[in-house]
Amino acid sequence: MQGGRPVVEVVRLGLVSYREALRLQQVYVDRHRSGPAHALLLCQHPAVYTTGIRQQPYPGPLLDRLRLLGADVHRTNRGGLITFHGPGQLVCYPVLHLGSFKKSVRWYVSELEETVISVCSRLGVEASSSPLTGVWVADNKICAIGIHCGRYVTSHGLALNCNTDMSWFDHVVPCGIVGKGVTSLSAELQRDVGVEEAVPHLLDAFRDRFNCRLTDGGGSSA
Amino acid sequence: MAMRVALRRLSANFSPRLPQLSPAAQVSSRLLWRSDSPRTLSSTSVLSTALKFTEKHEWVRVEGGIGTIGISKYAQEALGDVVYCGLPEVGQRLEQLEEFGALESVKAASELYSPLAGEVTEINTELAENPGLVNKACYAEGWLIKMTIEKPEELEGLMDQAAYDTFIKSLEE
Repeated sequence: MQGGRPVVEVVRLGLVSYREALRLQQVYVDRHRSGPAHALLLCQHPAVYTTGIRQQPYPGPLLDRLRLLGADVHRTNRGGLITFHGPGQLVCYPVLHLGSFKKSVRWYVSELEETVISVCSRLGVEASSSPLTGVWVADNKICAIGIHCGRYVTSHGLALNCNTDMSWFDHVVPCGIVGKGVTSLSAELQRDVGVEEAVPHLLDAFRDRFNCRLTDGGGSSA
Repeated sequence: MAMRVALRRLSANFSPRLPQLSPAAQVSSRLLWRSDSPRTLSSTSVLSTALKFTEKHEWVRVEGGIGTIGISKYAQEALGDVVYCGLPEVGQRLEQLEEFGALESVKAASELYSPLAGEVTEINTELAENPGLVNKACYAEGWLIKMTIEKPEELEGLMDQAAYDTFIKSLEE
């Protein structure tokens, strides 16, 4: 057996619909049935609002109103409340078997937060965690996190605002947190920071934080 | 043949009204299930109230043929503060290892797996208003569901307290 760090395959999906990304995540989740097969899916989504397992705050009519804005809407099985994904936002879905890391969801979420804090730092943005899950710059959330874990296999993940059109967030209470705002790397640095600029920093930070080896498979073969 | 006789003697010693056993008590109820006539023995009502554990850190406590299910202290610590419990409907039939719900903590939804085959008879409605009970009182008020026990032999395959404690130690190494 190879001693040492787990291997995580980087899969760059490009711009994919939320539905397609869910389908692909499931493919990678299922691969774990025959042994560890960790993957890090990277993508961007066309405008979509998503909700988590707590459905009660988001009845049908509310979601219909969001559709009228021209966004897709999806209920999901992740933790966390409503959030927005759209172009200019780096979305990352780590599909890991926590048995190769640490079998604690609380630990895993904390490591994701630290990873993103490191990304921000590398780009010159001082971010932090708080009792509210996610990554914050003062009272504004720069990265949302919401995950699902079944049989120690993770899905869903994080969404880091790079140069996202922030006005989409005006139509919801993001993550159900009243009185706080949202921000992006571009807003904080007062220059255009795109997803492609953030990706290498995310990969470096993830590799360091999770103490793993990354292989770059390129595009998805699923 | 001798086994059956020995077991009948054992079951005669159990009165219908046994006092509550502490979770750590080792009950020799396991002997009652090991038999070539499970039908006869299951009707003598196993009064085990000792906790049995799964590898997924759920516990089962059997009382009067109904199993109460919850998650262990180890599990609630690994989750963090529970903010939401997604539980099944009363009447839902579950297979062993079938997903029956999820707990949410730190924006993570973690699936729950049924330790046994059976039918859900009750869900803990307290958890709707007070999901933190799963952390504060995971073996008592933080119970999740109650269910019938369709296949008592499945209990045999679960860990007792001592085995579970050993199991946890091995995880932490």
